[in-house]
Amino acid sequence: MAVLDNNAVGRSVDPATQSMLRIAEKQGVETVWDRLEAQQPQCGYGELGLCCRHCNMGPCRIDPFDDTGPQKGVCGATADTLVARGLLRAIAAGASAHSDHGRDIAHTFLLTAKGEAGGYEIKDEAKLMALADEYGIDTDGRATNDVALDLAHAVHDEFGKQGGPIRFTRRAPAARVALWESLGVDPRGVDREIVECMHRTHVGVDHDYTHIILHGLRTSISDGWGGSMIATELSDVLFGTPEPVEAMSNLGVLKEKEVNIIAHGHEPTLSEMIVAASQDPELVELAKEKGAEGINVVGMCCTGNEILMRHGIPIAGNFLQQELAVVTGAVEAVIVDVQCIMPALADLSSCYHTEMISTSPKAKFPGATHIEFNEGEAFEIAKTIVRRAVENYPNRKPERVNIPDEQMACVVGFSVEAIVGALGGTLDPLLDAIKSGAIRGIAGVVGCNNPKVRHDYGHVKLVEELIANNVLVVNTGCNAIACAKAGLLLPEAAEQAGEGLRSVCEALGIPPVLHMGSCVDISRILVACAAIAKALGVDISDLPVAGAAPEWMSEKAVSIGTYVVSSGIFTVLGTVPQVLGSPNVTSLLTDGAEGVVGATFAVEPDPEKAAALMLKRIDEKRAGLGL
Amino acid sequence: MKTVFVNPERCIGCKQCQIACAVEHSASKTLFQAVAEGRKPRPRVLVAPGISLDTSYPSKCRHCDPAPCMSVCPTGAISRDRDLDIVYVDPDKCIACAMCAMVCPFDVITFYPSHEAVLDRPVAIKCDHCIDRQKEGQIPACVEACKVGALIFGDINELVKKARTELAKVVSVGVGGTVDEIEAETVRLPANVEAWRGLGRAITQVGREEA
Repeated sequence: MAVLDNNAVGRSVDPATQSMLRIAEKQGVETVWDRLEAQQPQCGYGELGLCCRHCNMGPCRIDPFDDTGPQKGVCGATADTLVARGLLRAIAAGASAHSDHGRDIAHTFLLTAKGEAGGYEIKDEAKLMALADEYGIDTDGRATNDVALDLAHAVHDEFGKQGGPIRFTRRAPAARVALWESLGVDPRGVDREIVECMHRTHVGVDHDYTHIILHGLRTSISDGWGGSMIATELSDVLFGTPEPVEAMSNLGVLKEKEVNIIAHGHEPTLSEMIVAASQDPELVELAKEKGAEGINVVGMCCTGNEILMRHGIPIAGNFLQQELAVVTGAVEAVIVDVQCIMPALADLSSCYHTEMISTSPKAKFPGATHIEFNEGEAFEIAKTIVRRAVENYPNRKPERVNIPDEQMACVVGFSVEAIVGALGGTLDPLLDAIKSGAIRGIAGVVGCNNPKVRHDYGHVKLVEELIANNVLVVNTGCNAIACAKAGLLLPEAAEQAGEGLRSVCEALGIPPVLHMGSCVDISRILVACAAIAKALGVDISDLPVAGAAPEWMSEKAVSIGTYVVSSGIFTVLGTVPQVLGSPNVTSLLTDGAEGVVGATFAVEPDPEKAAALMLKRIDEKRAGLGL
Repeated sequence: MKTVFVNPERCIGCKQCQIACAVEHSASKTLFQAVAEGRKPRPRVLVAPGISLDTSYPSKCRHCDPAPCMSVCPTGAISRDRDLDIVYVDPDKCIACAMCAMVCPFDVITFYPSHEAVLDRPVAIKCDHCIDRQKEGQIPACVEACKVGALIFGDINELVKKARTELAKVVSVGVGGTVDEIEAETVRLPANVEAWRGLGRAITQVGREEA
């Protein structure tokens, strides 16, 4: 047995992924799994969080065996300091990614309000007005664009604010806000907290691990209840608040006789326009001239989730499937913006006729074509990109096309507004079901894929266990896509649920697993938890809820986990964070945090055991509420 | 007889030994210049993964006596320094036939161009126990680089005796010793390192039984 399974079945539970892995192997094409194998063994200092490159007296590392090697860095920093600083920098990077995404959406929103955006419009005026009210902006009898402009400026100010509060943090129950204030972790501004992370982790600044981690909580809150929430709310205003819609998922959504375009990355600004451009009659006509039957735009990762839930655009797969989509030989263009895009795609694309097109001013990939996107000429640029893909269609080699058959229907688009709608306009039916025990609790299952874990196994198995035990699952990101492919996002999946959850789902006609969107849309889960807590007159930490990230890998996930725990929600991680080098930090995160924020992290790679931990937590919280 | 003794349970897979070895066997002997050298310096110690994540073993020449590689070398390129018990290669006599690699019980002989050879062609590359360093009273570069005690340099009988003593303490539990008395001395791995290895094993195994 090798460290990692090098056969397709061992690498993934998804049949489409398995068949593409076999083809990749036959063609001698390298994938992420091969590169992970080549990295073995991985450095224990890094895995334990015991290396530091923050200054040039270093790099330093600390011996985890504590009797032979160095126990301090050159400056005297201990294992506790190194681990806490590493964690803080990861949170800073993750919060930056989400919040910069939020800033981009806010910028598009501002240009739209000014009438300077090429093709965007305000799609959800009711949400715009509600947000304006929340910000204390006068809406009475004012033109939509005037209100939008005031809101855009107010939201922009959240990023550069120095003294707080970030408006959306006040959506949390009063007890939670009071707790944050008493701990000194109520964020003062989105950018400020991230800058302070970098300052504190510079040589010779903050060395007390508890103090460092408290700032990590503050920074993560500025992400979850700040940058991410801004991204979600303004995306809804610009592109429409998601409503339940049926769509298809997995690599089988690629079409043999159409121009296939994959929109991959995270922000909806570009993918929305690609979808619009692909429907342009002139381009559709051009596709037919080139011998194709049409233009098929499909999504990948979270930008895929954005257009999946708003337009029912098929989703080709999650993080670990990005290379395999190219291996189908049927993709004319992979259009990327930011985050979770493997640079390996550029090299891989050169083995096929596929063109990789980068678009973000922030992200270039050696070997890819760069067509820079800007909101002012959005639609025209999208048309240029789609035209390029269409013109690439004749270069496709039919003998190299291998599209797997697998595709699965799913019902997606459960924004908080849509969930309330499905419940008949009020949360009461959900609260009643929780009180009666029909629904034992709610679990948020999110996060990435990681080739260290058998692809989708952690996601699917955990969710199956939870629903079988009457836990309603809400999900986002790569977990949502894994569940879509496994058929868990269909109302019929209620058959796999426990009796209580099944009856609730059947009565409402909803799946037992609700797709709430992309990774920034974990903010929707926070909003839902806050609303439930307020309705019950308790704090979020009192609710029978739990979170999990079974296959996480990105720094964004570190920030997410931290803001979820900071919000009072117990969270189980399926892969190991780089903190075990400090028993003190490990103990703070998995135990001590309970007494500080009312929740902790746990690490449990086995999804069945992870489900058991979550159920235990849910039952304890039910008992606490007298249920 | 002095040797490099390996404590595999302490190896955390950082590969600092590999880097130190390659630098020591470069022309410049400095990291920043070594990475730019034409005949790329190669490590003679190679850290290979075990059967689950977070396990590894630094593999290197054991300087066998008699050494199978030396016995089969048709050109006499491999010889032994009797004083230091080191088996080493003369790259200019090596014809890269790979006989040595075939008989090596540890599969640690590789073939790459060496800056020590006159010609730019692959020759047998293997551990020379840092013979130059040892002659100056220094320990091998890999041992110096290892901060976790996975690689130890010393007299083989002394090192084995130390390990044997540890084992005896563990065995004594079974013949009447109390756990409390011996635990502090014989528990070699801290709990957090045990936890890390345990989780690596768990991640490796998760979902496999069904695959």
